[in-house]
Amino acid sequence: MMSTASSFQVPKYLNAHTPAEYKGIQRDHVRLMTLDSVTGDCSHNYFNKLDSYLLEGDLLVLNNSRTIPAVLKGKRGKQTIEIRLSRKLTSNEWEALIVGGVVTVGEKIDLPGGLAATITGIGAESPLLVLSFSKNGLDLLEILYQYGEPLHYEYIETPWPIEMYQTVYASVPGSVEMPSAGRAFTWRLLNKLKKKGVNIAYLQLHAGLSYYGNDRWPNPNKHLEEFCIPAETAELVNKTRKNNGRVIAVGTTVVRALETAVNVNGNVEPQKGITSLYIQKGYPLKAVAGLITGFHEPEASHLDLLSAFIDKGLLMKAYKKALADGYLWHEFGDMNLILPMGERQ
Amino acid sequence: MKKTPVVMITGASKGLGRALTLALAKVGVRLAICARGEMMLRKIEKEVLSLGAEVIAVQADVADIRDVNRFVSIVEEGFGGVDVLINNASIFGPGPALLSDYPEHDFAEVLRVNVMNPFLVTKRVLPGMLIRKKGRIINLTSEAGKTGFAEWGAYGISKFAVEGLTQTWADELQDTGVSVSMVDPGEMNTEMHRVAVPECDYELEDPNEVAKVFVALTLDETIDLHGKRFEAQSFLQEKRDER
Repeated sequence: MMSTASSFQVPKYLNAHTPAEYKGIQRDHVRLMTLDSVTGDCSHNYFNKLDSYLLEGDLLVLNNSRTIPAVLKGKRGKQTIEIRLSRKLTSNEWEALIVGGVVTVGEKIDLPGGLAATITGIGAESPLLVLSFSKNGLDLLEILYQYGEPLHYEYIETPWPIEMYQTVYASVPGSVEMPSAGRAFTWRLLNKLKKKGVNIAYLQLHAGLSYYGNDRWPNPNKHLEEFCIPAETAELVNKTRKNNGRVIAVGTTVVRALETAVNVNGNVEPQKGITSLYIQKGYPLKAVAGLITGFHEPEASHLDLLSAFIDKGLLMKAYKKALADGYLWHEFGDMNLILPMGERQ
Repeated sequence: MKKTPVVMITGASKGLGRALTLALAKVGVRLAICARGEMMLRKIEKEVLSLGAEVIAVQADVADIRDVNRFVSIVEEGFGGVDVLINNASIFGPGPALLSDYPEHDFAEVLRVNVMNPFLVTKRVLPGMLIRKKGRIINLTSEAGKTGFAEWGAYGISKFAVEGLTQTWADELQDTGVSVSMVDPGEMNTEMHRVAVPECDYELEDPNEVAKVFVALTLDETIDLHGKRFEAQSFLQEKRDER
């Protein structure tokens, strides 16, 4: 799982800590490194020029899950406890990470707005726990939005508002972290792509926590995420492949959802479910030909997933170029398009 | 089976907002309503429920982005999306006053609330509509948003901005399946009008009558709304003439 670890290091100055809009540029003016998944050739551009790499008949699949304020501060006695939600289990139960104290099953945490959470079990993987809240459904959501904050990782120095953690098309609340590969899209760019004949489809995968703190990362085999593929999207994916168009996933979440939904005939079926699919080097991708993604840390399982698209040696060579060329990492950073470019001719 | 449409109304507890909510509850749509005052909001929520309609009522100040996100997110989770948005909420500011006498902080506040709220709510609701390639957004304007009237202060000026907002968005959303339009309800017998014209000596329209126009604009898919400015009084007059 950690085969790529320590193969490179991201210097601190390449951590993007400011959203484009707060740097006086638009979302789609971040940089774009294109990477030919066959030859490993790289080119450098800006994300708003994405249309020049895509063709009529290609399909972009976007995850329109919306980021919810997933961090709640509470008390256990006099001790301050931070709850980071990861995955919704039922209308009043969540898998979550507890930060700031040792807690055990059966204990109760008092939260603002008259809400309480009881730890009722161990999550799908350590260190996640199962929390049962004293409110459910829309009442629980109301408290989350009243008192919760979006999750910020250590490299973020400013408590940006939750709007900065949304893609422009986010409209199905449920992710605890922004599906950040889509962050650089503007409606203007989407309109330009549509005009060119590139099709756009949407699915939902509610992203869970990608980091558990203290150098603990999700085990990709046990990392469960809820997803939904609408019939219209499945149909467009299958039609695009049949017509030799390229299906390009915007984000690793989209790859995970689509590849989970491939049936024995190689077609994507519309469905709702929970995926635990771990995509790594050698995984035979059946639905997706290309990927738009950010730049990932060496420890993240996302890099393993990228190795299903491109030879790991070529990927590492490109990453070294990106590091040398000052590309920015993380959710507010620059973008990477990995695609068999030869098919453009 | 066709799903019952979800209609979102801001500022739903008083005046025209309240009349709209009750009129739409009677035709059985699913309602998503908000207001700043909790007490009045709970009152209308109960009335809607007693009429047999489904409702999500959220206390929210729609000029506040955090509240807008909370309100719309709860509705997206509860109802799966919004089909029609009626940007009704607005404030009048101080009663009849010359601009020369108008307090600066009131001027700024009226513009902030009346211009920001339809922008924030529309921007938040729009992605769901664009993805479904379907939706109707109706903004509330005023005669004072087209013609400057003495003593209507920042209210009229803010409605000029709402008209510009509507026109700009209408131009940008052509061929998307989402329509943006505006309605001038005319002068109505409401609390707001009593502030605007305290010694009114002419007849005012009943907001419940005006609400009937909105029921048609909301639900009648044969009416092409996009980019248009409607005057509710002319609609009502036409119907009266038909009788």
